[in-house]
Amino acid sequence: MTSAATAARLTRIWEAPHTLWGSLTTVDHKTVGKRYLVTAMIFLLLGGIEALVLRAQLTSPEARLLGPEVYNQIFTMHGVTMIFWYAAPILSGFSNYLVPLLIGARDTALPRANAFSYWVFLFSGLFLYASLLIGQAPHAGWFAYTPYTLKRFSPGLNMDFYALALIFLTISQTVGSINFLVTIFRMRAPGMSVNRMPLLLYSTSTMSVLSVLALPSLTLACLCLELDRNYGTHFFDSAGGGEPLLWQHLFWFFGHPWVYIIFLPATGMISMLLPVFARRPIVGYAYVAVATVLTGVVGLGVWVHHMFAVGMSQVSMSVFSAASITISLFTTIQVFAWVATLWTGRPVMTTSLRFALGFIGLIVIGGLSGVVTALIPFDWQLTDTYFIVAHIHYVLIGANLFPVMAAFYYWMPKMTGRMMNEAMGRWSFWLMFIGFNVGFFPMHFLGLAGMPRRIYTYPSAMQWGDMNLAVTVGAVLLAIGLLVSIVNFIVSRKSGEPAGSNPWNADTLEWDVSSPPPVYGSVHIPTVASRHPLWDEHDEEHDPNDERVLERGRLTLATTALDAVPVAVARMAEDTVMPLALTLALTAFFTAVLLKALWLVAGLAGVIALCVAGWLWPKIEKVAS
Amino acid sequence: MSDAASLRLDQLPWDVRRGSQAIGWFILTEAMLFVAMFFSYFYLARNAATWPPDAPPKLPLALLMLVILLSSSATLEKAKWHLRRHAETAARWWVAGTILLGIVFLGVQVLEYRDHLRSLRPTSDAYGSIFYTITTIHGLHVVLGLLMLLFVLALPRLEPRTRLPYHPFHNASLYWHFVDAVWVLIVFCLYLLPRLRLG
Repeated sequence: MTSAATAARLTRIWEAPHTLWGSLTTVDHKTVGKRYLVTAMIFLLLGGIEALVLRAQLTSPEARLLGPEVYNQIFTMHGVTMIFWYAAPILSGFSNYLVPLLIGARDTALPRANAFSYWVFLFSGLFLYASLLIGQAPHAGWFAYTPYTLKRFSPGLNMDFYALALIFLTISQTVGSINFLVTIFRMRAPGMSVNRMPLLLYSTSTMSVLSVLALPSLTLACLCLELDRNYGTHFFDSAGGGEPLLWQHLFWFFGHPWVYIIFLPATGMISMLLPVFARRPIVGYAYVAVATVLTGVVGLGVWVHHMFAVGMSQVSMSVFSAASITISLFTTIQVFAWVATLWTGRPVMTTSLRFALGFIGLIVIGGLSGVVTALIPFDWQLTDTYFIVAHIHYVLIGANLFPVMAAFYYWMPKMTGRMMNEAMGRWSFWLMFIGFNVGFFPMHFLGLAGMPRRIYTYPSAMQWGDMNLAVTVGAVLLAIGLLVSIVNFIVSRKSGEPAGSNPWNADTLEWDVSSPPPVYGSVHIPTVASRHPLWDEHDEEHDPNDERVLERGRLTLATTALDAVPVAVARMAEDTVMPLALTLALTAFFTAVLLKALWLVAGLAGVIALCVAGWLWPKIEKVAS
Repeated sequence: MSDAASLRLDQLPWDVRRGSQAIGWFILTEAMLFVAMFFSYFYLARNAATWPPDAPPKLPLALLMLVILLSSSATLEKAKWHLRRHAETAARWWVAGTILLGIVFLGVQVLEYRDHLRSLRPTSDAYGSIFYTITTIHGLHVVLGLLMLLFVLALPRLEPRTRLPYHPFHNASLYWHFVDAVWVLIVFCLYLLPRLRLG
């Protein structure tokens, strides 16, 4: 068969119809990935608008733009949106789009579950934002400490929205993580043994294991909060023998791994793109891979460092302090590997590399302010001040937004087939980098001067006004810089220079297919003979007898977990509306729980069970044998 | 890769492992939910003067439930044993028996609750809250396991190996054994341990 005819046949098999129904039922990982990216960017803009509203209030002392209650709702929505509905989903978007292309598979291992994880992400976000529309948004900060969040102090629906929206979102993250794990352990191209895996696969799988292990703790915390608030139990209520600190333990057992969930995949992306621009393989591949995994392992055991101020035994505090300092070692290994790669390479400066360099600078500052807060006396002095706000923004914007921007400039040509504009990229980078530092560096001094976080205004006698003005100016510059990149993307998507399949002369498999990639990936399932498939002599698609075309249906190869030896042919799911139907049923379910309509809850649980059964019901007659 | 050329890909079997790997990770995340609940139980115990505040929960019904669930794991394995010998009908009967045992378990749990609720309510104190939360969430997991087994029983064949991209029966049985194992832990931590402490 000629290759054009083969490609046409594969397209017919894999393509979803270009109709509304087709777009609601598609399970293609590239579509799901792009939806994740766009939706997470919209949540970034929402959270950004909330941040600017907060800055408008804090620019000058004694401002009365927002009342305390509105201020509380907006800073809580800002934190919750950025941490839960932007930072992790944007990375899931990249991993969704890239992982199957990186491993030469035609889709992720569980395509329907993948589509489901996106729909749940979207609808849980809509559920959360419904609270803002009725004026009862969560208002107790993103970690929602009890007892302030119990009914006595927070009688409205605010914290019910918080607890239920988070439980809803954990479904998306858990399902998505399981899908990544099965994909990475089962679907890699023949020959891509663990020591040849692109580093993004290490960080994505570590992130996924952390999600699987840590999220149930958040689910339980939110469930207990709901029970305490509405059904009279006493988990967090000391009058009934409960313990408010239990919330903190459950929340931070989840919360600190979450920091690595929104950090590790970003480092994985940097480890992919930085060596390409340095024009050499990464220095210390094995060290970076092992450091990634160890960050995850130790990251599970440091949650108490968020709670040094609550009073605990010396020994337990010392252990957690030591673990917290140890963890910075693993990040340092990665930083040195990147610096050495640049040092010994011949770097080509691009917007993407600029953002990567900005990231390295910011993560060093954010890491250092993290190391000092791992020292207990220092933490006692500065916890709940703007020093911590500065730290969290250096690590979250520095270690998530900047790598995400680097990744956008690097992979957007692959997704759209068009190059982004470099001049606009340069403007965007400098505006964001300068704006960020002007905005967030003074927060360290505000914290040292004693300004507490989460206050809605402050008296002019404290003399914090000047530095707060600087913070606001910086925040506005940062926002303008981000908008420049968004405009750049919208313009370049249609009218940028054609990218070709491998504009950066990169080494990994996603650059082997055309840009944008065909719906089925590559015509022949590639085989891999080294760590840098496109930089070696081996022809990945060499397949004279068309054995690895697999065009009898939606098929791809399943391989062993360690050595990636092909052991089976994997039949992939057809397009289906069940993921969306199940998500809608879940949305109705959580709404019924919110309204405490218990019979409706029971009925909808039945509907959910039927949806799952319908989803899993085998369509035996359709199978080609 | 040199050996890729010699591989006869068209002779490879259908992949059936993805579903089992996925359910393995799902069981792990569910296990962490119970870990978090047991942590909460012992953390709340640490702060209480006496734990449980009244008498420890009564043993006989919990032990009866333990026997029921453990035998249900055995009957499920018996069904697998029949299936390996291609005795489809016998296997189906054993699955049905397993489902029956699961329902009996839930019935006994209702009896246990009716007795227990006379002295302790979820709203009485922290102990009541965590006790009923752990046991009720376990009960919901039994319901989920039963739904899985019912789904399997409704399938036209229990183990259509060459046809399906996953092993429904195998996956459901993994989940059922997990639910059983959790009840062993519950009996040990919630029912036995307080008695051992009291001496």
